[in-house]
Amino acid sequence: MGLASLDLVDFRSFPAAQFSPDPDGTTVLLAPNGTGKTSILEAIGYLGTARSFRGATRDVMIRNGADDAYVRATVRRADTDVLIESQLSRHGRSRIQVNRQPAKTRRDLADAVAVTTFAPEDVSVVRGGPALRRDVLDDALLLLEPTAGSLLEDAARVLRQRGALLRQLHGRLGASEATTLDVWDERLGALGDELAARREALAVALSPRIAELYRTLAGEDGGVTATYARSWAGALLAALAVARSDDVRRGVSTIGPHRDDVVLTVDGRDARTQASQGEQRSLALAIRIAVHVEATAARGEPPLLLLDDVFSELDLGRSARLLELLPRGQTLLTTAVPPPAGLAGADLVDVRELHRDP
Amino acid sequence: MYPQPLRALIDELGRLPGIGPKSAQRMAFYLLRQPDEDARRLAGALVEMREQTSLCDVCCNVADRSGRCDTCSDTRRDTSVICVVEDPRDVVAVERSGAFRGTYHVLHGALSPLEGVGPDQLRIAELKSRLADGGVAEVIVCTNPNVEGDATAMYLSRELSGFGISMTRPASGLPVGGDLEFADDATLGRAFDGRRPLEG
Ligand SMILES: [Zn+2]
Repeated sequence: MGLASLDLVDFRSFPAAQFSPDPDGTTVLLAPNGTGKTSILEAIGYLGTARSFRGATRDVMIRNGADDAYVRATVRRADTDVLIESQLSRHGRSRIQVNRQPAKTRRDLADAVAVTTFAPEDVSVVRGGPALRRDVLDDALLLLEPTAGSLLEDAARVLRQRGALLRQLHGRLGASEATTLDVWDERLGALGDELAARREALAVALSPRIAELYRTLAGEDGGVTATYARSWAGALLAALAVARSDDVRRGVSTIGPHRDDVVLTVDGRDARTQASQGEQRSLALAIRIAVHVEATAARGEPPLLLLDDVFSELDLGRSARLLELLPRGQTLLTTAVPPPAGLAGADLVDVRELHRDP
Repeated sequence: MYPQPLRALIDELGRLPGIGPKSAQRMAFYLLRQPDEDARRLAGALVEMREQTSLCDVCCNVADRSGRCDTCSDTRRDTSVICVVEDPRDVVAVERSGAFRGTYHVLHGALSPLEGVGPDQLRIAELKSRLADGGVAEVIVCTNPNVEGDATAMYLSRELSGFGISMTRPASGLPVGGDLEFADDATLGRAFDGRRPLEG
């Protein structure tokens, strides 16, 4: 599997751009900072995940002065080509189609073009809030499990519906609203238990792999653990009943899969607050590689690798080790510094030459 | 920019579901160029739709002025079985499958706090009064197989449990959903292939 062509219209700073990387090889996007090379990777990542790995909203990805941005890609497979088309819209609905059919869940996208992204922002997975760590698990579930897409969509939808209902109560729960809330609780209970169980099982599977990769990357024997931490105990439906008065008073769902976390430790210390910057960076890389390795095993081929400016963050020794550890199919990377020796033979592309007349 | 009557039409068209400001403009200018009688026919259809339709007194499906829909007027239908759906278009979908000989009840939506839809916004009271009248043995809940449809089905099963009527829900939902979104394939292709500068 590999990306054979990419077209951008009004995406970030590109009025129009066209790019045809080697679907089986490695392409290095070379250019000074500020010329949009990260945007190319961002656009590819968007097709695979429906979001920006830089945490950008859709509005930010649409070129100034344009109402819509378009990203289109052809992915080459052994037997056939897959066409992925997306429209990011400031006013209307944004949408993504795979072979002219609307993608219904993010799993449809992961099937069309699986991607693994490494970016300087990754360190926030260790250092930042719980949502970023939950996203890592959810993105991994999408790559690893066929039914994860609808589970994630439904759980998010039920949480939004329940949140809307709680806000509308203004702190008071009448008998008729209680019956409606019962119904949403039951849906959230079932979906939340299921989602937490899947995330937990994945964390259990990934934890030893992350620890091993961390040892190799950091070159030190720091014991690393990754543990899923639920925001409730026992069955979620029963916990929701206990939390109900709190939820009604505050107008939000105070427990549920949206409040869970993944606790990371290095040598028994909380990695979020008590690890050094170097340790946090190595741990973030180890987590990404672990997911990439799992996804490669589960899918029978490596996801497309997007490496955004990772070499400026790492010393030469660790850059070389990173490249050795990664199962690599097609690889696209940006760098403002000369790439490490392990990448000899890669195609070099100057991003400024990808612009096309609109 | 445009004369007021044209602007008013663009505003009205832009309120229709799935129609953005650009499409509304395109439709308005299309209508402007059409012969007089075409525009009048469209206006007439809109007025007639408002004046000549009502909701069925029994099942709340769309009916003509008589207040009784085709299904409920048909004496051969089995009134002991009620298929509950979200939308009149779902009735058409089930009818097309040809497998159902009972009657319907149209809720006109599904529970969705995000859209301000609670039980009072749905035609649940009408359904309860049908069940209270007796003669119904089975209710098949055919709400859409999504989060809102599932929640609505669960709500109904709780609210209607007192009637002692058998309630079922097909595992796979409707044969063809009423709220299917039809993708406009041409639009995406056009964005890449024949881009023209914006007017104005
Ligand atoms: Zn009727």
